[in-house]
This record gives sequence, structure tokens and C-alpha cells, in this order.
Amino acid sequence: MNKKKKIGGLRRLFEISIVIIIGCICAITRSAAAAAAKDDQFLLLLGVSPQDEDYYKGLLSSPSSTIKCKDGSFKFSTSQLNDDFCDCPDASDEPGTSACPNGKFYCKNAGHIPFSLYSSRVNDGICDCCDGSDEYDGKVKCPNTCWEAGKVARERLKTKIATYQQGVTVRNRLVEQAKLAIAKEEAELSKLKNEEKILKGLVEQLQERKEQIEKAEEKERLQKEKEDKERKEAEEANLKEKQNGEQVESSEADALKNDIHDKIGEQVESSEADALKNDIHDKIGLLGDSSSSQDVMDGHGDSESEAQHGEFDVKEESPIGDVKPLQEDSLLHATEKEEQLTVDGQPGLDTGNQAEVEEDNSESLSKEELGRLVASRWTGEKTEQQTEEVSSTKDKNHGTEEEDAYGEEYSSYDSEEDDHRYDNDDGDNEDQMDDFGGEDHDDSSPSYKSETDDEPDLPEPSWLEKIQKSVRRIFQAVTFFQTPVDKSEAARVRKEYDESSAKLSKLQSRISSLKQKLKHDFGPEKEFYSFYGQCFENKQNKYVYKICPFKQASQVEGHSTTRLGSWEKFEDSYKVMQFLNGDKCWNGPDRSLKVKLRCGLNNEVTDVDEPSRCEYMALVSTPALCVEEKLKELQDKLDMMNKEQPTSHDEL
Amino acid sequence: MKKSPNLIFHILFLLLLISPSVFSWKKDEFRNCNQTPFCKRARSRKPGSCNLIATEVSISDDGDLIAKLIPKTQENNESQDAPVEVDSKPLLLTVSVYQDGILRLKIDEEQSLNPPKKRFEVPDVILDEFLSKKLYLQRLSEEKIDNDLGFSSVVYLDGDYEGVLRHDPFEVFVRERGNGKRVLSINSNGLFDFEQLREKKEGDDWEERFRSHTDTRPYGPQSISFDVSFFGADIVSGIPEHATSLALKPTSGPGVDGFSEPYRLFNLDVFEYIDESPFGLYGSIPFMISHGKARGSSGFFWLNAAEMQIDVFGTGWNAGQDKIMMPVDEKRIDTLWMSEAGVVDAFFFVGPGPKDVIRQYTSVTGRPAMPQLFSTAYHQCRWNYRDEEDVFDVDSKFDEHDIPYDVLWLDIDHTDGRRYFTWDKVLFPNPEEMQNKLAAKGRHMVTIVDPHIKRDDNYYIHKEASDNGYYIKDASNRDFDGWCWSGSSSYTDMVNPHIRSWWADKFSYGNYVGSTPSLYVWNDMNEPSVFNGPELTMPRDALHFGGIEHRELHNVYGYYFHMATSNGLVKRGNGKDRPFVLSRAFFPGTQRYGAVWTGDNTAEWEHLRVSVPMLLTLGLTGISFSGADVGGFFGNPEPDLLVRWYQLGAYYPFFRAHAHQDTKRREPWLFGERNTELIREAIHTRYMFLPYFYTLFREANMTGTPVIRPLWMEFPAEEETFSNDEAFMVGNSLLVQGVYTQRAKHVSVYLPGEQSWYDLRSGAAYKGGKRHKFEALEDSVPAFQRAGTIIPRKDRFRRSSTQMGTDPYTLVIALNSSKEAEGELYIDDGKSFEFENGAYIHRHFKFSNGKLTSSNAAPSGAGGNRFSTDCTVERIILLGLSPAPKSALIEPANQKVGVQLGPLTIRHGNSPSFLTIRRPNVRIEDDWTIKIL
Repeated sequence: MNKKKKIGGLRRLFEISIVIIIGCICAITRSAAAAAAKDDQFLLLLGVSPQDEDYYKGLLSSPSSTIKCKDGSFKFSTSQLNDDFCDCPDASDEPGTSACPNGKFYCKNAGHIPFSLYSSRVNDGICDCCDGSDEYDGKVKCPNTCWEAGKVARERLKTKIATYQQGVTVRNRLVEQAKLAIAKEEAELSKLKNEEKILKGLVEQLQERKEQIEKAEEKERLQKEKEDKERKEAEEANLKEKQNGEQVESSEADALKNDIHDKIGEQVESSEADALKNDIHDKIGLLGDSSSSQDVMDGHGDSESEAQHGEFDVKEESPIGDVKPLQEDSLLHATEKEEQLTVDGQPGLDTGNQAEVEEDNSESLSKEELGRLVASRWTGEKTEQQTEEVSSTKDKNHGTEEEDAYGEEYSSYDSEEDDHRYDNDDGDNEDQMDDFGGEDHDDSSPSYKSETDDEPDLPEPSWLEKIQKSVRRIFQAVTFFQTPVDKSEAARVRKEYDESSAKLSKLQSRISSLKQKLKHDFGPEKEFYSFYGQCFENKQNKYVYKICPFKQASQVEGHSTTRLGSWEKFEDSYKVMQFLNGDKCWNGPDRSLKVKLRCGLNNEVTDVDEPSRCEYMALVSTPALCVEEKLKELQDKLDMMNKEQPTSHDEL
Repeated sequence: MKKSPNLIFHILFLLLLISPSVFSWKKDEFRNCNQTPFCKRARSRKPGSCNLIATEVSISDDGDLIAKLIPKTQENNESQDAPVEVDSKPLLLTVSVYQDGILRLKIDEEQSLNPPKKRFEVPDVILDEFLSKKLYLQRLSEEKIDNDLGFSSVVYLDGDYEGVLRHDPFEVFVRERGNGKRVLSINSNGLFDFEQLREKKEGDDWEERFRSHTDTRPYGPQSISFDVSFFGADIVSGIPEHATSLALKPTSGPGVDGFSEPYRLFNLDVFEYIDESPFGLYGSIPFMISHGKARGSSGFFWLNAAEMQIDVFGTGWNAGQDKIMMPVDEKRIDTLWMSEAGVVDAFFFVGPGPKDVIRQYTSVTGRPAMPQLFSTAYHQCRWNYRDEEDVFDVDSKFDEHDIPYDVLWLDIDHTDGRRYFTWDKVLFPNPEEMQNKLAAKGRHMVTIVDPHIKRDDNYYIHKEASDNGYYIKDASNRDFDGWCWSGSSSYTDMVNPHIRSWWADKFSYGNYVGSTPSLYVWNDMNEPSVFNGPELTMPRDALHFGGIEHRELHNVYGYYFHMATSNGLVKRGNGKDRPFVLSRAFFPGTQRYGAVWTGDNTAEWEHLRVSVPMLLTLGLTGISFSGADVGGFFGNPEPDLLVRWYQLGAYYPFFRAHAHQDTKRREPWLFGERNTELIREAIHTRYMFLPYFYTLFREANMTGTPVIRPLWMEFPAEEETFSNDEAFMVGNSLLVQGVYTQRAKHVSVYLPGEQSWYDLRSGAAYKGGKRHKFEALEDSVPAFQRAGTIIPRKDRFRRSSTQMGTDPYTLVIALNSSKEAEGELYIDDGKSFEFENGAYIHRHFKFSNGKLTSSNAAPSGAGGNRFSTDCTVERIILLGLSPAPKSALIEPANQKVGVQLGPLTIRHGNSPSFLTIRRPNVRIEDDWTIKIL
């Protein structure tokens, strides 16, 4: 059907309606007139939302009346309203046609939710409104599907409301618990601070005493040595010969070692390998920052790898740094064979960048390897073998770091009775301090047990009194001391000192971990308090995603772990958790993860996705998001939908 | 001590990981001229070293001028420059003449002398229709030129031109009749050389090695080189594809720095190509067009599919070479053309206008196909839209943000393990349903189909191809096995028409399971790309159908693949649906089969800039339907760059956004509200001009004149425009200037001609023939409508072009100083071939004497079928009319309509200050006049 005609038809209907309004007002009963007017206004006010009906009122009085466009830029008359020509730059004269590009068309959608469409959808041959009101030029026939669609929507809304209702209760409980727990922890913190002060005093005293004892012992030892020396001088001549023999042996060994090193050239002793490795790591770190990678790029743009040479000190020392690629390659293999040579002076490192080696090696690659290699430029994927190696490196590095870290921990809390407290989960090396308090948790299972488990670790006040008592005893027992030192007394002081200082550091780390924890933003109502120390997991194909709020997020595949990011903050008024600065992506950014939070009855990861390379997105449902206001909103919406159901539905 | 045995490897790898650009363009991987024996040899030859002369000149029975080229017997032999080749046999020269001033020159070995092999001549490029336009020469006249001892033979070429074969020294040229001024010539500098095939002698080492690859070269050297001179030329242009300026910079001669390599024509998959480089990219068109203020344009085309290298000589390159007998008074650009194999099959186009040259060239190689209307709208692509959910999500987001788009693309990972014609069953379980869902909104999809076939016996394509022997063979005659996306792969031999037909059948709905009528195709990697081949392509000694070596036809392989795919889509639709196939590789004639794009560009300002000369060059060489990836394929564009790219890309003939899988997502709505708005605006601009673009596509289809054009094509006498490749014309009515710098404050725009230009945004008029400085506005790149033109638009915005079919038109009339303007509108059903039978509407609009007239521009009796539409004109905007009228009278309806002030584009905030005829509602297909009262 011709659009013009249709619009014309609408206009005629409208004009009749005006006549009806004016002419019949006295003749027919009020309510009937009102109903008729309402219907016809609807036709003229096609696409007008109820909020806007007032704005158009001025046009309804007569066909020649005018009003201003909403933006005031222009005046238009009744005949220009919905005449399929855009007069107002803000589209206010064409609410019901597609004539203005920035207009909105309101579909009433009785039985479902009313909806405003872009005017570009009007008469475009596609049914957008469930009541079909956006397609009136006859090109397509749109059935009214509002009732069915509305029913489905209402059901869905009801389910959602039910979830919210329960969720709100859970959330309230969470908020209560969080407040209590925080109060308790704050109390504990201030108590611990107090205890720390006392214990610190005791430890200082004990230390003083211990040092005195040690001084005395030293004195005693020197005395004894002197005596021994005199006594042993006679025997010395005999011993000397034997000792000499031993020395010769060891110096021969040294010489041999040096010899080997000479042969190797610039090689370092294997015992230094670790140091070198660290060195290399440092350099890698250096390269990782933007300025130096820029250098690498520049270097590349140049003829060869000139610019990169400077990046590696090792290079300058290496006599073989400038050999031709092919030779480098064979040397590379050679070095691999002799394990102890691998660490330093390897030519591969000297070229400063793998690509060179890769490229130039390409001559010796099999056809398939070459193909894969070239393909990998576009994909950034490593050939399989390479990938494995990279991930295993990563793991190894990870492993060593962790070991080191733990090693340190162990040595600083060198107390037998505390040892058992450290066999906590391994994956959680970020916040060692937290582990002290026994807040260790099984990553996979959210738990609240930590609060209660704390208690036995730092027993009731009596422990402090006990220490105080025993310290007092020590001081009482030994009024003064001199050589010879009473051995058992000294041991007791030492033991007491060791124990107390261990306790002190334990106490201190507990304090610091508590401080750390309480510093976090747990949300306006502390509703996210229970997230602390929890991890949420989700398995997708071969990956396990692990999201630990306030800590970090990772992607685990078998034995290799990729960090998706460290905790950054809540965003979007606590609807999103942001993890940033994860492991760097090939050819891309550092990995990052955005977690969108939804209301749900349990804390669970419902979906993980990687919409952009290395930018992850997860959905987590949690009662913490089941806010009462939102529940109200939903209920209002449902009420409205129920109200909007056409009473006349049965008649249709 | 614990130590990893593979520590070095790990460290190296870590280094690799942290340097993002390690893999950028690798010069070493590609041969330069010095590493290419034929190129090195040809380049080292001195002017005048050709010692051939033409003998036995006559007119053949076929109406051609024929002659034999033999070495001059050297009595007083100064043989340093010209060593006489012992086994040199006579070459056969043929000059043919065709309508519209086209001279064709062929030089090949004499078949009667039994050369070891028939040299390859490229079939399937020259139109049969062209061959039928041959003029049979009746006679030749002889004359003496300059102080020549011998004669020259002169033949008729055209009313205004003659072809001349100079016997000694051998030279062929075209000259103007009457004044004798030369237009273009071959071998004027005596650089012609033809390496004849010969039997291998003992001790001959014909092998060529490059990196780890060995080319067996069983037929030995067979290269051809010669010089071509363009007279009266200020610039030469053409010979794509290079990421370089429109006016080709000299590559040889004094003062040449930087461009010391010749322009290479060798289809290659160049990873992260750089701009400003003469290195060859994905496609090759050995067609050069010259242009000069004095005379105009001429063109030279060498139909040859082997590797080619072309030097453009700078002025004074041959200083001191006094052997050359050439008119010195004329401006001239000399060039050197070198090819590894094949024959001389060259075409001279006389012009004299740029559009004439392109018409002449496309009369040989074909006019651009009429595209599907939807394919001229906006395309959304990414490597890769991962799964159906992603597709629906992106699709619905376009609607959510009221941004129109017509096509969603799926890259290689939609397939089952990169087996083309299949779907990944997990990611795309219901491809038909998916396509139908998009099609319900008038949208289309494109899937990728590449030429590398996975060598997997369970893959039906491979099974059939290997069972039937459809693959290209390696030098030892086994199926060539190379590495590409699908791993170990073979390549179907598209040179064979039978195999092309087999391939075409694979696109039927029955064969391509999961395809629907709304699905079209993308051909990538068809150079062909072979990751582990020499220079990432097929070895030159690989063997094709009929024993043709790959070296002989390398550059035409992608063309055949494109052709086969395109034919497949025609077959699929029973010849009723126009195909849409995008190809990366191209060759002369590609314009008949579909669109091309400039390959894997980078998200950098310089790549945005170079996209314009690259696309203009493609247009000049016949391929009008072309585009560059909006946003840049590699890397992440800053929002400013992305927005500017959209604003410029909206005027590319082919408008598609694309991105590499490693890049951040960059759909239009991901950069904040303001940028979303700007991108929406840019895309809307394209949709608004769709009727104009479609009319231009039809013009290209009829005449070859490209959709986007260098300024000098419309203003051929204005020198100021010759080197301008930052701005371009869309048709003859719009001038667009890109913004190529970040946070640009100002843009300098040269507006050519004597007439004014109307700013598309403000409607303000600016004087032509002047450079203007404009404030760089955020919301568009500078664009202007030329005074004296009428542009048809559709100002209503829909989800896709499909829904715009019945929307009314807006006509924008920009009056020139004599208050006149003209324009055209072409409409058809947008998808079928019915237009070929006359089912189209072609209107001509003319405004003069205060009256707008719409008349039929279609030739009478254009065919039996009719196309009809109810579309009307809803608005006519008049720029440059004063004083302001109040109303207008429509004839023949004798109906008065109002004239009021309205905005130039109906957009929020645009002030209503332009005379607008409101709702004339005349039908677009009718004849009518509207008289301003």
C-alpha cells in the first residue's frame, strides 16, 4: 500500500475525531465521548509515549493549531504532525513515522512491556513491537504477540523476583555476619596490639639477658681457647703435615676447575648459574618495559639487530656473538649438549631476539616447521612444542619463586611448634602474611571457618601470662651471672627467648594480616566481606578459571597457571570486580578480567568468556547483589505488566 | 644444582614474547632486484643496447602489421654495449589495431622455428567482445623519420592517431596524426631484450637459489624487458599493488633515494607490510596510466602473469646517452618493464582524457561487475566472530546503538579445522538458522573460502581433488604440498576450466552444507600464500595444467580462483543472483568478478593515509570496487584514528571494518558514547549516499570510470591536483579529504576548478581553484559537493540497506555560477541480472532557468524488461539559489508545493537555513519538472 495514502487515511481519521470531540461533547454521554476521543487521539498521536501526550495536546484542538518543536527550534502545525516529513530537527513532529532519523516510536505493547523504538524501525518491514504497531503501511502484517510474549516475560520476572526475595534474606544475613565479624576482628586487632606491646617488652628483656649470657660464654670460650692453644702447641707439629696434604688436594681441584673454565671461555662456574639466571631475569624484566621494547622495535626496523646488541651485557663479552646465523645455530645445539655451558655466552641470547634465530634457523627447519613458524606470525600461536616449553618455563619459574618465598617464611618462623601452621595451600602465595592466622582455606570451597579456627592458634590470654610468668621466673632464678655460665640456665633463657620472639613475630604478622584485611573495601554494607579468602571456580573445556576476590584470578590448564589479573577494585557501583595486570599476552596486552556480579542464591561463576584477546569477562552470581531496592523495582515492573494486561484480552 | 637443559630456549622465547614487533615486515624474506637475476640483468643494460631491427614488414592476411625482428648485422661492430647473441633467432612482431584508439603489440618466438616450449600467453583475461572490435589493416605507408637510413611503417590507428613501426632502430610508437607528436612508445631507449628459450647445454647451471629454496628452472632464462616512454606526461600512475603514492616516484636515475628498487609486481602475502615501499603486495596489474597538463592521458598495459619489475626513471636518467634519437623538446617519462617469462602482449591506449584511457583499458579487460546493492553498504568483520552467540550479540548491539550494517563476516575459525565449506560444529551448530535470523533483518553473511585445501583424507574436497588430480603439482610432478592455515595443504589448479567448474559446483546449497541464499564469499590467501614456500608463495617450478610453470602464471592464479568462486555463486543462484566475492589477490580483469581489499594493513595513521592512493590506483586500473580494512587489521587504533578511519572509509567503494584476532574488540560502540556517535554518523553518511554510490557503480559498470577518482581525473588541466592523493573525488560531485593526523586542529584542502564547493556539513560555499584551511571538525572529515551537480540521497536510516528500498529520496542541488546543475540516479532491483535486460531506472536531473527536470537517461530500447518503484522524492535542497522563493510548481501534475528553509541534513542541531522544497512527492521513475516560483 502507498505510504502517502495510509498517512492520509490517518489524517482523515484524525480530522473526523476532532469533529467528534467538538461536536458530540454535549450530545453523547461524557464517558463515551472520552473513550472515542481517546481512541482517535491514539491514531493521530501514533508513536507518542504517555509522558508526551501533554506536549501534543495543543495540536488536538484544531487542525490549524501549531506548537513548537520540543527543542524550540521550529513551529509545526497539526497537519505537519506525523505527515511523514521531518520538520523538527529533534523529531518531535514525527513520533509515528520514520521521517526523522533521531525519533523514537512508542509501542504500547498491551499485555507486555511498552517500548520505545528508534524511528528507523517504523515501516521497515520488520515487526518490532509485539503489538505490531510499528508496521502500518501494509508491507508486512505483524501479528500481535504481546500476550504470549508478555506471559513468558512475566514468568521470567516472577522467577527473578523469587530469587531476589530469597537473596535479599541471605544478603541481610551476610551483612549482619560481616558486621559482627569485622567488629570482632577490630576488637581482636586492638587486643593484639596491646599484647604485642607487652610481649615486645619481654622479648627485649630476654634478648638483653641472652646477650649477656652470650657475652659471658664468649669470654669463657676465649679463656678456654687460650688454655687449649697452650696445651695443644706441642702436638701441632704432628698435625701440620697431614693438613698440608689436604690443602694440596683441594688446590689441585681448583686448578682443574679453572682450566675447564678457560677452555669454555667466558663460562661462569656452575654454582654461579643461579645468580646469572637472576641476572637474566632482571634483564628480561627490563626489556619488558615499554621503553626498551621500543628499542627492540627500532632495532628491528634497522638493518639487522644492531640496536639490540646493547641490551645484553653478555653480548659484549661473548667472542662468538657475531657469527653467522647458521653457525649460531649449530653452536646452539652444541651448547645444549654440554649442559654446563648453557648458561652463559650462548649465541642465541646474544642475537638479542629470538625472532632472528627463528628466522635464520628457518633455513634448517623442516618444511612443516617453517610453515608453522610463518603461520604463527599471524596467530601469535607458538608451534606446539614451543608452547609447551614456554608454559613449562613459566611453571618452573613459578615453582622457584614459591619455594623461595616459603623458604624465607620458614626461616623467619623457626619454631617447631608452629610449623604445622604453614602447610597451607600452595596456590596462594600472594599474601603470605594472611596465612599466619590459619586463615588458610581450601580455595575451592568457600568457608567461614577461619574466624573460629583462629582461636586455638592464639590461645586464650593465659599464654601471655604464662610467658610473663616464666620470664619472671628466669629473672628470679638468675640474679646475676658470671663465668662459668650455668648451662641449663642459659639454655632456658635461649629457649624462652626463641619462643617469645617467635610468638611476637607471629603476633605481628597476625596484626598485619588483620590490618591488611580490614583495609579492603567490602562494599557499602560490607556485603562482600565473605568474599575475602574465597575463590570461585568454573571449568570450561580444558580450563579451570579461579577467581579469588581481593587477591587474584587465574586460568589453570593442567599444571600450568596463567594469571588473569590481580585484584584491582570494584567498579560500576559494586556490580563489577576488576582484576588487572595479569600475565602478558603474546602480541597483546596484559591479561585482565572483569567479573560482572549478578544476584543469585549462591556464589558461583556462571560464565567465563574472552570477548577480546586476553581480556576476560566472567559472570558471578552472588546474594551480595540481591538488593532490596532492585527487588522493589522488579515487583513494580511486574505490577505494571499485570496492570497493562488488556482487560479486553478475552475479547480479542 | 638444578638447571634446566633448555634454559636458552626459554630465555629466547621470553625475549620473543616481550617484543611485539619482532615479526614485522621481513625484507630478507623477499627477493630484491639484485637477487633476481632477470631483474639485475635487465637493469644493468645500457640505453641503446638493443640491436634488433624490423625486417619483412608487411600486412598479414589477418589485417595485422607483421615483421621479423633480427639482430642487426654489425659491420662496424662496437660490440661492448651490444654483444651479438649467437643463437638468436628472429622474433615475430605483430601489431593489431582495435576500435577506440587501441594498438596491440605482440612479440614472441617464431613457432615455425620450433622453440623448446610454447611460451605462456594469459588466456581468459581479454574479452571476446574486444577481439571482435579489431580493425583489419588494409595498408601501410612508409616514411623516413629524422635522419634514419631505413624506413618506418605507419598504420592507421584512429581518426586522430597513427601507429608507427620504426625499422632501425626498432621502435614502436603511437603519434598524433597531423602534428606527429608522439604519445607513447616502446624501445625508444633501446632497452628491449628478449631471452629466447634454448636447449640446455652441458655446464649450464639454470638453478636459482633463494634462502633455503631451489628453483630448478628447467627451461632456463626466458625473460623479457623493454622501455616504454610516455610523452607529455607530468606523472605516471597505476601498476598496483604497492603501498605508495598515487603519482609513482622515480626508482632510478639521479636524485633517487629510498625508492631504489623497481616497483615489483608479484602477488605476495606480505606480513605487516609497510607504507611507502615499491615492494609487491597481494595483486598485480601491469597497466600504467600517464597524465600531463599539456596533452592529457595515455596508457600502457602488458598482459603478462610472470613476475614483473618496473622502473620509473627520473628526469636525466640517461644523460650522456647520445645514441637515442628522441624528440627532446617534449616532457616525457621513461619506464623500464621487466618480466621473468611469457611473451610481449602489450596495449597502447591513446586517451586523451583519463576517463578515455580507463574506458579503453576496460574495453580490453572488462568493466567492473555491477555489485549487489547490499555489498555497497557497511560490512562488519573481525577475525574471528567466535560463535553464534558472538554473532547474535554483535548483530543486536548494532540495533541497540541504531547503527546500520549489512554484512557480518566470518573468518577462518568458523570452519571445522580450517576445512573450507564446513562449520565448526561446536561454535556454529546451526549456521542456517543463524543466517536466517540475520536475513530476517535484511542482513547478509560472508564466509571465507581459501585456496589451500587441507590434506585430510576425510575431507571431501581434498578427497575429490586428489583423486581427480586437481591439484597443482610440484617440480617432480607430485601434488604440491605446502603449509597454510589448514596445515599441510594442496592447491587446486584453477587455471584448468574443468577444475574451475568443479570448484564452482561446491558452492551450490546442496554441496555447501549450512549455506543459505544470504551467504556470500570471501577469498583470502589466493596469491597463493604458502607459509613455507619461497617468499611465502608457490615455488616457481610448480606445474599447472598443460605443463605451464607456476612462474609463467603466478600473478594470475588468484584471479582464476576468484573467477571460479564468483562463477560458483552465479551457478548457485541459477544465474539470477549477482555474486559477491571479495578477493585479496587480483589481476587485470578481476573487476569482472568482485571486490578486492588492500590486505593486512596496520592501525597506523600512515596506513590510513596510504589507503587513499592505493584505492585510487586500483580504480585507475579498472578495479573500482575496493577498500582498505577500516581501523587497520593489525594493532589497536586509538579512538581518534578509528573514528577518522570510519569517516574516510565511509567513502571507500568497499566499506568494511576488520581486525586481527590479537586486537582488542573494536565494534563501533566500544569507545564511549561520543565516539559511538561519531562512528554512527560516519556510517550513516555512507547509507545516506548509497543511491549516489550505486549510480556511480553503474557508471563504472558502463564505462570503467572508477567510483572514487583522483582529482586530476575530474580536473585534468590543473597541475595542482596531479600529486594530490590525500583528497579524492567520489564520482564527479563529491570531494573528500581525509584527516591523517592525531588530534588534528586544521586541515588544508585544495578545492579544484572554477566553480564553488559546498561544505557537506555547513552548506557554506568555498571558492574553487584555491587551497583552503579548515578547522578539523571532530564529527566528519572535510567533504564538499561541487557546484553544478545534483546528488540523490536517502536520508532515512534503517537497520540495513535492505529496508531502504522503498524510502523516499532527497535531491541536493548545488547550483553553479550560472545557476545550473546536473545529476543522475540509477536504480534497479539491487541483486539480479535483470538490469542487463533493461530492468532499471536511469534518471537524468537538470536544473536550469529555475526549473528542475527529471528525464529518462536510459537508452531507448534498452531491453524488454522493466523495473518499477513507488519511491518518491520527499525533499529537494537548493544550494546557491537566491532570492528565496516561496513555492514551486510541479508539472505535469500542476500542483504547488511549499519552499521553506530546512537543514542540509536532517540531524539534531543542524540549522534549517537551506531552501528546501517540502514533500514534492513526485515519483522517482516519472518524468516531471518542478519550477521554482
